[in-house]
Order: sequence, then structure tokens, then C-alpha cells
Amino acid sequence: MRRVINYLGLSMFVALALIGVAPLFLIIYDIYSRGIPAIIELGGWSFFIDIPPSPFVDKGGIGPQLVGSLYMTAIGALIGFAIGFPLGVYVGEFRKDLFANVSRGAVNMLVEFPTITIGLFVFTLLGLMRQDINPVLENIGDAAASVFGEGARYFIGPLDYYNAYAGAVALALIMIPYVALFTASAYSTVEPQLREAAYAVSGREYNAVFVVLRKVVARAILTAALLGTAKIAGETAPLIFTAFGNNYYGEFTKPTAAVPLWIYYASQTPYESLIISAYGAAAVLLTIILAIFIIARAVGRQI
Amino acid sequence: MSEVLINNLELWFGKTKVLDGVSMKVPKNTIFAIMGPSGSGKSTILRVLNRLIELIPEAVYKGEVLLDGQDIFKMDLLELRKRVQMVFQIPNPIPNLSIFENVALGLKLNKLVKSKKELYERVKESLEKAQLWDEVKDRLNSPAAKLSGGQQQRLSIARALAFKPRVLLADEPTANLDPENTAKIESLLLDLKKETSVILVTHYPPQAARVSDYVAFLYKGKLVEVGPTREVFTNPRHELTEKYVTGKLY
Repeated sequence: MRRVINYLGLSMFVALALIGVAPLFLIIYDIYSRGIPAIIELGGWSFFIDIPPSPFVDKGGIGPQLVGSLYMTAIGALIGFAIGFPLGVYVGEFRKDLFANVSRGAVNMLVEFPTITIGLFVFTLLGLMRQDINPVLENIGDAAASVFGEGARYFIGPLDYYNAYAGAVALALIMIPYVALFTASAYSTVEPQLREAAYAVSGREYNAVFVVLRKVVARAILTAALLGTAKIAGETAPLIFTAFGNNYYGEFTKPTAAVPLWIYYASQTPYESLIISAYGAAAVLLTIILAIFIIARAVGRQI
Repeated sequence: MSEVLINNLELWFGKTKVLDGVSMKVPKNTIFAIMGPSGSGKSTILRVLNRLIELIPEAVYKGEVLLDGQDIFKMDLLELRKRVQMVFQIPNPIPNLSIFENVALGLKLNKLVKSKKELYERVKESLEKAQLWDEVKDRLNSPAAKLSGGQQQRLSIARALAFKPRVLLADEPTANLDPENTAKIESLLLDLKKETSVILVTHYPPQAARVSDYVAFLYKGKLVEVGPTREVFTNPRHELTEKYVTGKLY
């Protein structure tokens, strides 16, 4: 009798685990089974370069969306890591400081924040600052154009209400607490005897923390950076108020396209070509994120 | 003049008093053993001497520690670490650094050498003093984690010696080693006292008897007895000391 109960109990756990895990595989299957044919139907390789299809044209792609997403994710990830990593070290390693404990609480809360509020915050902030910073940016844009040619105006100049940089900042704000928490927890796994060794050979606390311990937790930090990047690459909500979206290639100082925004927009239209382009876009996005995730896992495993 | 002078040192971890008015004098070029049962505060004293204690947020201490007459709590941390280095209970080379890098680490981080040649010479000299050079000279670039436990401990000693310290703190350096490696480390410490004072923490009285010139017996945070090793072991003044050295007190 006990054996039967034991067996039933175990099978229940397996069944529940299956329910939990099944969506992952169902989503992957659904997106690829529809996304790959969609990419082929809309033009194959040109899908990665072309502008999106209009309702009554059956060829097109997500070129501007890919460029916008890569640009914003790259900038967001760089800023996010540049601030998140030192913040994580501070929060994780300087526990005797009162402010480090306050920061830890703040970071813990920020990581759970609804991401749309972060987009809204950046939008508001930019709205307040635009008038003051745009004259400066205009001068910088002119200077850059005279040095690098008119192409520089794609990257720098007066900012529109919606632009790629606002999107990148919103993504960075999402990544900062994520990287910080991961870094802090990596530092807390350093064995006490290694921490003592690091401090004993370092005259300066800075050396101990950043140089010695970084060598110990380097891989964990790299994993954090990659997972953080994967996370923000797929974010939609913070981009609604910041990048806004765009159907065409354009300046990054103006409304900028992004893959998740395109999926959100196109899937709601009644037009077949747009809907299948959303599936194609989803397949591309999922591939990018899965690839980053697998690299991160491979790196993390070698610790 | 004595190298290290501890004067009425008191220390709390939060509300628990760990050191209760400890005073001792460590003369130059000697091995000074601190023995006592677990939890007597031996290791804590060492961590005060090189200020690793500052890593523990809840540690509060008062009292005076002088190194060559200078107050260590007012000393620049790098200056202190240059003069006072430590070897730990668990051998702790940085695992993913090479043997060479582990020894060179402190010198490089703190910019204590001017050229690569000087760095190499210092690393070589330190490994020789730690009696490890012959075993590793052909594989200086392989990871430190590949060495055996005894070799790792000698590597940790070499890393400390690279600073040319005046005082070497040894926190039960043989507690995790087999008898053969223990003997090697002990003879190494005896060699080292020509150029540095060694403060050796041990919970094993025979070790203190074998290698030390002076010995202090610590019990529950209080200094029970301190004196020349022979005297303390053959003619202890305090009953607790006698019990401890004869193995009747743990």
C-alpha cells in the first residue's frame, strides 16, 4: 500500500513538472513551426533586410526592426552592465556600509518593477529635458556631421520625443538591477578563505574586490551580462513609450523600430501578410535569445 | 625592542566578548606560538594583527597594537600588509591563477616591483624560501589548483613571503595537512625565523613545544600564561595551562 502511495505521489510530481515545462516546448514548437515558413514565404534571406510588408504586398521583412533592436539592446546592455556590475559589487561586498544595505533593498525592488513604468519614467524624463539638451545635441550633431559626414546625423542630433536612445536607457534601467543582483550573489558565493586571501595580499580594498575577486567570479559575471542582455533583447513594454516603433529605416534620434514592438503591432492587424511577418519576427527574436541563453549556460557551467 | 606589542586588546563580535584584555610582546626573529582550545580567540588575534578583522562588520575592538612602536590601526593598510603577511588554515591560492601569478599577485597589485625581471626574481626567491621552487620550476604557468594540499600551503607561504614581511602570521597552517607535509612546514617556519618573526596559532600543544621559542596560552578569550616555551611546558605557573599541555583540557 505504501509503495502504491509513494508511486502515486511521485507520478503526481512528474505530471505537475510536465505541466510547468510543457509551455516552453509548446511555445518553441509553435513559433518555429509557423515562423520559419513565414520567413520563407515573405522572402527568405531578404526577410532580415527588407522593410515590413504592407497589408496588400506579400513580400517584406523586419530589417529596420532588427537594426533598431540590436542597436538599443547593445547600448542598453553596455550601460546596464557598466552601472550594474559595480553596483552589484558594492551591494554584495560592502555589507558593513549602511547605504549598501539600502541599495540592496532598492535593487531588489527595482528588479520586480513593472517594466512599463520604467518606459513611462524615461519618456517623462526626456520630455522634461528635451528643450534643454536639444540645442546642445544639435551643435554636437553639426560638429559630428562636419567631421564624419552627413551619415553621423543618423546617430546624433536633437532628439525626438520617441527615439532609440530613450529605448536604450529604459532597457539599461531594467538591466542594472538584474546584473547587480546576479553580481552580488556571485560575490556572496566566494569562499571566506579566498576572500581573506584576496584581502591579505591587497593593500587597497579596491584591488581586493575588483581585481582578485573578479578573477574568482569572472565567469559568473559574464553569465550575468549575457542573461541580462537576453532579458532586455525581448522586452516590449519599456519600448512602447520610448522607441515607439517605426516601419522604416531611419535616424536613431527619431522613433525607432524594434522586433518585439513589431510583433506586438503586426499581430493585432487583420492582414495576413503582417500576421505571418509577426511569426517570422518572433522566430528571429526567440533564436537570438535562445542563442545568448545557451552561450551563457555554457560559460556558467565551466565555473 | 619588540616587533609586535599587544596592549590590553578587547574585542567583541556583536555582544559576545571574544578577547578579554589580552597583552603580549612578540620579540624579533622568534616563533611565537599562541595555543588554546577552539573558540579561545587565537585566530581572532591574528586577524587583528593584519586588520583582516575589518572584513567582519560586527567586530568591535579597543586596545593598542604596536608594530615597531607604530600604531597599526593608524597605519596605511598597504604599509601594514607589506610588513605583516598571513598564512591560513585552509591553503588558499587563487584557484584559476597560475603558480607564478599567485606569488606575483601581491607584488603586481600593489606595484611593489619595477620590472618584469625583478618580479621574476622575487617570485623565484619566495618559492625557494617556501621550499617549493624545485617542485614547480618547470610548470610555473600551470594552475595553482593542480598542486597537492601541502604544495598549495607552501605556495600560500611563498605568496606571503613575496612581500618580505617582518611578521608572518600562521593560522594553524598544518591543520589540514598530513604528518609529512606538517613536518615540512614546521622546518620551513624554523628556517624563516632568521628573517621574520612568526606568530603561529595552533590548537595542538606538541606543535608549539616543537617549534616555538615563546608560547602564549589563551583560554576563553583570556591570556592565561605566556613565557619561554620550555618554561611554560615544563613548569607551568597556572593550573589551566598544566591541564591543557597534558591533554586534559580541550
